[in-house]
Amino acid sequence: MIRRILIWDAPTRVFHWLQVISFAGAYLTSESERNRDIHMAFGYILLGLIAFRLLWGFSGTRYARFSSFLFKPGEIIAYLLSLFKGKPGHYLGHNPAGSVSVWLLLALGLFLCVTGVLALQDDAGDAVVEMHGIATNVVLAVILLHIIGVLVSSVLHHENLVRSMITGFKSAETEEGIRRSYNWLGAMMLVVAVVFWFVFLRPAGG
Amino acid sequence: MLRLFFLSGLLLAAPAAFAETPESVLASFKGDASGAPGFQGFSAARGETFFKTRQGGEWSCASCHTNNPAAQGKHAKTGKVIKPLAPAANAERFSDMAKVEKWFKRNCNDVLERVCTPQEKGDVLAYLLTIQK
Repeated sequence: MIRRILIWDAPTRVFHWLQVISFAGAYLTSESERNRDIHMAFGYILLGLIAFRLLWGFSGTRYARFSSFLFKPGEIIAYLLSLFKGKPGHYLGHNPAGSVSVWLLLALGLFLCVTGVLALQDDAGDAVVEMHGIATNVVLAVILLHIIGVLVSSVLHHENLVRSMITGFKSAETEEGIRRSYNWLGAMMLVVAVVFWFVFLRPAGG
Repeated sequence: MLRLFFLSGLLLAAPAAFAETPESVLASFKGDASGAPGFQGFSAARGETFFKTRQGGEWSCASCHTNNPAAQGKHAKTGKVIKPLAPAANAERFSDMAKVEKWFKRNCNDVLERVCTPQEKGDVLAYLLTIQK
């Protein structure tokens, strides 16, 4: 019997969409010195999100844990081949190709934020600013591949993966959903991000 | 071995080969500005006024680079140190055309919310060239 089961906990979903907003916001303010503080706010939020995700990958619910999507290179290639043949294997959590984008985006995102912080320092050279710019373009490319992958997988598996990342639910015949959504933690993350935003960007005291 | 020396020599000389000077940048602006009707050359006095005046927005050039371009500046949002802008105080300034164009484009958008005309860029550089260390 097909049932609706919970796969993605609230912290994972909040992390995902706040990341989207933070990266988009930082990208749109990258060329403006007048909005440099807004750019920094988005960057710091992104850094905090990545730090959280690294912890949650070890302590979160089943499909959020890194151990649940550690695929061997052979499995990744097999999955990609099955995608091209139009008959991909179905995974409840991250599929092998999706897992690669997670690793890449976490590592690149971290590199992006760190080079950003370094670029703010008084003794920053041109090199660190260039690396920040190059990393941005690589991240953008991986995001594009990720979006294409999500759309292709959604069509081939007749499921709406975007909606699943919002609601947390997927349709499956098994009973292998997660038991708790940790909504309180997801809400707390949202509050912390919003509070940080307003505190960081408050006008300088007189 | 001789080819290795020759090639490394070329590579080391390459940056110097592409280097601009403030004067060559100014000449390049003059070439761009001459196209506009009524162009009568650059004016350091006009450049100084342009540099220090807020042009309808929140910032002037001096907001970050200060009223003394030979002095160290400070980013008005982040507080990051900005090395002096006047070529006499900082030999690296106006030596790389790509950097000149990148920062004029960015900062004119910050100050004026548009690009600077070749006239304005030339006036500003003419002014900066009058600054002593």
